[in-house]
Amino acid sequence: MLVTWRYRTRKSFIQWFDPRAWMIFYACFLAGTLFFWDVRFLAVFFAIALFSLLTSGVTWREMRRPFLFIGGFIVIYTFLTFLTGRGGEEAYKVEHLINKLAAPFMIFGWRPTLTITVERSFFAVSQLARVFSIAIMTILIPYTLNPSLYGVTFRGLGFPDKIAYAMDLTMRFIPTFGRDFQLTMDAQRARGYELEKISGGIIEQVRKLGPLIVPVTIHAIIGSEDIIDAMDLRAFGVGPRTWLEELHYQRRDRVLIAAGIVLLAASLTLLMFGYGGFWVPEALLRLAGG
Amino acid sequence: MKNKLVGVIIALVVILAIFLLLVYIGGNVMGVERLMTGENPMLRFAFVIVGLLIALGVYYGTKDSPAWEVGTRQVVWMAIGAALYAVFSWLFNGTVFFVPSISQVALRPAIAIPVFFGYAFGPIVGFFSGAVGNMFGDALTGFGLYPQWSIANGLIGFIAGLPLLFKDRKKSLDSVLGAGGVLTLIALVIYFINRTLPNMMFFDVPNNVFGDAPISIFAGISLLVGFALVLIVRFAFGKDLDLAASVTWGMLGNILGIGFAALSDIWINGYSLPSAIVGEFLPAAGPNLIFIAILVPLLVVAYRAVQKQSGR
Repeated sequence: MLVTWRYRTRKSFIQWFDPRAWMIFYACFLAGTLFFWDVRFLAVFFAIALFSLLTSGVTWREMRRPFLFIGGFIVIYTFLTFLTGRGGEEAYKVEHLINKLAAPFMIFGWRPTLTITVERSFFAVSQLARVFSIAIMTILIPYTLNPSLYGVTFRGLGFPDKIAYAMDLTMRFIPTFGRDFQLTMDAQRARGYELEKISGGIIEQVRKLGPLIVPVTIHAIIGSEDIIDAMDLRAFGVGPRTWLEELHYQRRDRVLIAAGIVLLAASLTLLMFGYGGFWVPEALLRLAGG
Repeated sequence: MKNKLVGVIIALVVILAIFLLLVYIGGNVMGVERLMTGENPMLRFAFVIVGLLIALGVYYGTKDSPAWEVGTRQVVWMAIGAALYAVFSWLFNGTVFFVPSISQVALRPAIAIPVFFGYAFGPIVGFFSGAVGNMFGDALTGFGLYPQWSIANGLIGFIAGLPLLFKDRKKSLDSVLGAGGVLTLIALVIYFINRTLPNMMFFDVPNNVFGDAPISIFAGISLLVGFALVLIVRFAFGKDLDLAASVTWGMLGNILGIGFAALSDIWINGYSLPSAIVGEFLPAAGPNLIFIAILVPLLVVAYRAVQKQSGR
């Protein structure tokens, strides 16, 4: 049985557009975000992402789980980058100290110390803006893209029929396999398999993961026979494919595509002229004695 | 079809040329720092095209082989492989089900999926499973996209599926094993000369170590451990050609695919060759190879049982 993403028809900004137009805009947005570490430019992307989120019509209740998972993950890794400074060293060479907090205790002769610098703090802010912008826009896709339009959307974006259909199936299978993994994990737990205590040497650990990975994979392959039969019975791949629903660009879709292209072109131009690299406000540097 | 393919190749070459021209004009002529190698986001996309051209080049040279046929079965297997790879990557990346790292070796069991799908169902299925699965996996974790790494994962599955191009699979095995051995040896020599370099793939969350620690001896020699396991599978199960070939070709795919991504960072992130090999290639390719050597034979045996049962 296929499990689906939590899509439903909503009166929302994203769903007002043709899904192809939105995917083109999303691709331009994504590529544009990757060009910048400057929080002033990233703020524009973050604002677009926030606007898309707030007008998406997706309730907090619906997207709470993925947001908490991904948000927590992003915050933890950004915080670790802030603590260690690792990750930002490619963006800045010199650090301006704001404060150095030393713990009042020692661990085996080592005193834990937190070094807060202007660069580390701003890098953390930039990283949060960058990654959250991408995450917000990505999380919204399964909630706002009609599953029955996956295939025709990818076909409309220029993919050949078979690749478009494979992409369509991939998106449909992901939640199903996630559910299958959960079921397999529960079944193995019921048999006394202790997932939380995977221990031993590396080879032993790898071997212990077999009872999870093998059943899910083989079950998926066995299940594929029904899908293959159904597709063969409908003469899949014999001639050019037609789709039950057709997509037609409206004026607003063309405007959105143009906006995406302008966003990407502007990002590229700024990059070409040397803008968009890591930035910290001069005033803060002066405050820190720089 | 031929004209279409040539068209695609020409389009990719033109886009690649435009990228390189932008980098040359912006970085070298205009002196824009962000367009020079070192921190160059545009080169990520250039390496995507390089990876695609490699795959298309192999296809073009052997396009008459039935290994390239894409029918209904292949379309469904592509989707299953990509979805499984995405789900496993997401689950095992620590977001849901945390697999602890051992002596700086982070475990990525999902890598067995593109290798198995490539070997069992052909290079196109392997490429799609690796590339699209990695892309969706990255999207699910919400940490953005690393296109050259997606293509590298695609190449792993692609190369694992190449034995379908050979009529005599056994003959090709020893050459592949030899090539893998030589590449492992080169990587190890670079490691032993540069043993103090940091392991850039290592995230030790409990101890707040974020890629700073010098590479551990185990992470450094993990590729050798993996290669030893491949040798064991190759010779202990030498009569079972499927087991030996899946693991041996998977090894080559893993070394070349991860090698492609790690070497691309010499230009994209400005790493030195030793940093790319010791800091990125060894900590990623070594553990991958251990997983390939153990999990792929399990999948091959299980799939064979299914084939026997279903008669397909």
